[in-house]
Amino acid sequence: MTQAFRIPGAGRVNHAKAVRFTFDGKIIEGREGDTVASALLANGVHLLGRSFKYHRPRGIVSAGSEEPNALVGTSRGPGRFEPNTRATMQEVWDGLTVESQNKWPSLAFDVGAINDRLYMLFSAGFYYKTFMWPRSFWDKVYEPFIRRAAGLGKSPTEPDPDHYTSRNLHCDVLVVGGGPAGLAAALAAGRSGAQTVLVDEHAELGGTLLSEPGVRIDGQGAWGWLETTLAELRALPNVRLMSRTTAIGYYHQNMVGLCQKLTDHLATPPEGAPRERLWRVRAGQVVLAQGAIEKPLVFDGNDRPGVMLAGAAQTFFQRFGVKVGTRAVVVTSHDSAWHTAFDLAQAGVKVAAIVDIRPQVSAELTARAKALGIEVLASHTVTSTTGRLRVASVHVNRVRNGHVDPWRSIDCDALLMCGGWTPSLHLFSHTKGSLAWDAQAGAFLPDRKTEECHIAGAGRGLWGIAAALEDGARAGAAAAKALGRAAGVGSFAVEGDRTGDGVVVKELPTDRDPGKAKAFIDFQNDVTAKDIRLAVREGMRSIEHVKRYTTNGMATDQGKLSNINGLMVAADALGKPAPEVGLTTFRPPYTPTTFGALAGLRRGRHFEVTRKTPIDAWAEAQGAVFEPVSLWRRAWYFPKAGEDMHAAVARECRAVRTSVGLFDASTLGKIEVMGPDAATFLERMYTNPWAKLQPGRCRYGLLLGEDGFIRDDGVIGRLAVDKFHVTTTTGGAARVLNMMEDYLQTEWPDLNVWLTSTTEQWAVVAVQGPNARKVLEPLVEGLDLSDAAFPHMAVAECTVAGFPARLFRVSFTGELGFEVNVPARHGRALWEAIWAAGQAHGITPYGTETMHVLRAEKGFILVGQDTDGTVTPGDAGLDWAIGKQKPDFVGKRSLQRPDIVAKGRKQLVGLLTEDPSVVLEEGAQIVADPNQPLPMTMIGHVTSSYWSEALGRSIAMALIEGGRDRQGETLHIPMPGRTLRAKVTGTAFVDPEGQRLKV
Amino acid sequence: MTAHPRSLAQPPVTVEVLPPAARFSLRLRAEARPVAETALALPLPDRIGRRSVGATRQAICLGPDEWWIDAPAAEADAIRSALDGLVPHALVEITDREITFQIDGPGALDLLAIGIARDLSRLEVGRGARTVFDGVQAVLVREAEHRFTLSVWRSFAPHVGELLEQGAREIALGL
Repeated sequence: MTQAFRIPGAGRVNHAKAVRFTFDGKIIEGREGDTVASALLANGVHLLGRSFKYHRPRGIVSAGSEEPNALVGTSRGPGRFEPNTRATMQEVWDGLTVESQNKWPSLAFDVGAINDRLYMLFSAGFYYKTFMWPRSFWDKVYEPFIRRAAGLGKSPTEPDPDHYTSRNLHCDVLVVGGGPAGLAAALAAGRSGAQTVLVDEHAELGGTLLSEPGVRIDGQGAWGWLETTLAELRALPNVRLMSRTTAIGYYHQNMVGLCQKLTDHLATPPEGAPRERLWRVRAGQVVLAQGAIEKPLVFDGNDRPGVMLAGAAQTFFQRFGVKVGTRAVVVTSHDSAWHTAFDLAQAGVKVAAIVDIRPQVSAELTARAKALGIEVLASHTVTSTTGRLRVASVHVNRVRNGHVDPWRSIDCDALLMCGGWTPSLHLFSHTKGSLAWDAQAGAFLPDRKTEECHIAGAGRGLWGIAAALEDGARAGAAAAKALGRAAGVGSFAVEGDRTGDGVVVKELPTDRDPGKAKAFIDFQNDVTAKDIRLAVREGMRSIEHVKRYTTNGMATDQGKLSNINGLMVAADALGKPAPEVGLTTFRPPYTPTTFGALAGLRRGRHFEVTRKTPIDAWAEAQGAVFEPVSLWRRAWYFPKAGEDMHAAVARECRAVRTSVGLFDASTLGKIEVMGPDAATFLERMYTNPWAKLQPGRCRYGLLLGEDGFIRDDGVIGRLAVDKFHVTTTTGGAARVLNMMEDYLQTEWPDLNVWLTSTTEQWAVVAVQGPNARKVLEPLVEGLDLSDAAFPHMAVAECTVAGFPARLFRVSFTGELGFEVNVPARHGRALWEAIWAAGQAHGITPYGTETMHVLRAEKGFILVGQDTDGTVTPGDAGLDWAIGKQKPDFVGKRSLQRPDIVAKGRKQLVGLLTEDPSVVLEEGAQIVADPNQPLPMTMIGHVTSSYWSEALGRSIAMALIEGGRDRQGETLHIPMPGRTLRAKVTGTAFVDPEGQRLKV
Repeated sequence: MTAHPRSLAQPPVTVEVLPPAARFSLRLRAEARPVAETALALPLPDRIGRRSVGATRQAICLGPDEWWIDAPAAEADAIRSALDGLVPHALVEITDREITFQIDGPGALDLLAIGIARDLSRLEVGRGARTVFDGVQAVLVREAEHRFTLSVWRSFAPHVGELLEQGAREIALGL
């Protein structure tokens, strides 16, 4: 294509640098600095997509992030497809692939456009009315249909290959918006020495100044002033300028989220570059200089390609050097569009007419129009447009005393509309700052503030570059002063400022049946003025209901163009003034934001921390299968070639029961409890007695909550009179330390005892099995490992495999067992030394599954599996662990509560299935009588269930009402298709007397 | 990342894992501080975040009754028994609990900002703080204008180290 609509030398694009991209497969040439929208317009392409509901042809409406129509699919390479990219924001680069959306088979001929003919069926509330009956259609027909129809564009199906990043930032003053107000604010704040950040969503800073080069500021053209100003700001070390950066949300205490696009504009991003960066900014003061968004006018056919906002045409011309057409008509209720008409006329666009809704327009404007040969039609309306894929003519009618005269047609290929300007208050709205209706401006303006923020420029209803500069400087200085800095309010000499005003209108008056007018308010969601009126007729009174009934303002543009027009129409239909009808609330994000940006670095294996032990890599190399246990990953079992889980676990169990196994217990929580009052503290925390435990000995400890229910357990070794090595469950480590600190700091601050987490100081290797001593003995120095010298539940400091160690003789398997603690950096070496020493005995590494089976065979509980926060020591059969002589411990008083001592509580018992080959399902419910009517009375549930290789049959534990009184009873476990029978037993299935420990 | 990576990235900011020295957590009451200072031959700062640096040892105050003592490995045995029988205290070796990263270069503040929310430009040189890096508890010390140490528990180090490495690469790209 030839860029027939490009004006040589005009705009800020680089005319020397051609850029080629594709649109629906066709190669389009643009200029460096173009957006997709400006490049397409330069080539005369206005038709960019089909609308969401009616599949109407749609073009470019705006030149900014508020764009509701020109949403396209963009692809930046394999896997890098993005739907609904705003063509007005996406910069072009060589090789960018762009496609139109919501069309089939082609953009020019779309079958779905039949919806447009059937528009009477698709009125407001269509979904609510149509998909109600029959109920059975919902799942199979309606919901899939609605879901298919519910979004514009195709969702990407491949994982996003890009990566994203995030950063925290603190500053004194954050200025949002890089137009004249924002620049002036940044100058004032920056010059005061405040740490200042200025952000703007566009590729270039400058805002309106980019589209108003004719204005002179301080003796320079606007672009020259912009360059000077940016140079000054860049030179200030305390100022940071960020373009392509959208302030997406304004949160409590002046925290503002920014999304910075880093690479979407680059043909060849640097290797490894993140695509976007999310900034979490904490600002002392915030200046919102977001400007204003031009309002469309509401008339039949206002959505036809070629119909666009006048300000957008101005921007395409001044910033990009693009004519939006050759023959334009302007329709407006505001002076600003007149200036657009003048600029275009001077650029060689034939402006056929300026249609102004107002009866009176300033003589200066009309004189200028006449001088440029533009027909002026004051007190006129637009009642329709024609053209299939592009506007071809516009029907204009004179309005006299409320009466609309017959139309006359004016040919045009661009219709530029302006319904005035809406102050952009999205971020202010995020803070829950209140708005006040300004009747004169016909707009909501910021009222009561909740955060340390200042609103400047067009964002608070001011108009004109001089006003914006002055107000921005005031806001920037006020922000600096609020931080205790001296700041001057600069003054600006502005010439050629094109100020003006306008009126606020609802739908334009028409001579046609308003019920048939396709006068769009929300372009993205295809909501028309008659939909709003229908919603009011059908009983919607609140703007919130109107919004939800019609979906007005509910598209991804959040009603940037449609909310005020929707409100004006609704207010008119309700016969109430606009402020009484109210405005819906804007919510973050300001513009659509990628999930990638929100996730940032927390993706893939960094989604959550995975903690690994020092021995983890060895297990991985051995082919271990892992399971997550709290944040840790632990070796679950170690399958050999051809083994399934069952076979591997059976082999591991046999090895431990018959020879020796090796287990990585490093994840066990460890707390060093040290100080003269250490024993007193443990006496109060744990149920067990500690005062008389001798140094060098260990004891099982049971920890309750204040409610008397089991919270945690573990072996505690006394290393010295004033030093205990406490172990906790893996998942309970942090919780137990917090609970202990809580009691220590709030209940017993007088105790001289301190707690230090040593979980990660020590790597722990458990050596378990009848041959454990034989394996370990040759590696141990400084300790006699014999049963007499180092009996069960002994602890000592010694040397193992040359490493300083704390050696425990403990067993969670029922076999002779040792747990060797060495400083974590030596964990892997210790493991390998024991592994080598154990080869003669066929030493076998085992995982958490085997550990669970072996402990269940002994009836040892797992807190959190066999307990659920409602189990007392008595329920679990652990009364023996309570120090009966102790005056108190956490939970003691609760153990006397009537419902705790009452009969019939659920108690932990063993279960043996009648069929020994059946392994019960954990969590399965248990009943006494399987023949009772439904719903049955459930008396308990299975908590642990395994295949016991030692017994050659299944075993289980269960919490059952009055369980210990049911010894020998047969109970029933109803399962799908069959009911299983099992006998109640004790919980110790293997070696109940503990003889195997005495070796 | 391996357990002990060396240079993970090139300037403007580098990340490396410091070799383990001896580190102890010391807990005692304020009135016991003078005795402990004499025994350890090291002042124990009385303000949280302050650090004292002796000839070979240094102490940083992390809580109202909490200090970390860092020393060469050769002094570990002497420190371990230094306070025996003198004052009520807890002295627990945590050398192996911790992995310490050194972050060095003009991009250090930017790099730390990927994981730490607080305003580190206000942290004075020679001071430290217990803080959080991407959800992981950490102790940060500002050793010099552009040099920090960041200590995390061992099992969190791969997560933190990989993020630092990724961040350092990002900063090197200058985007």
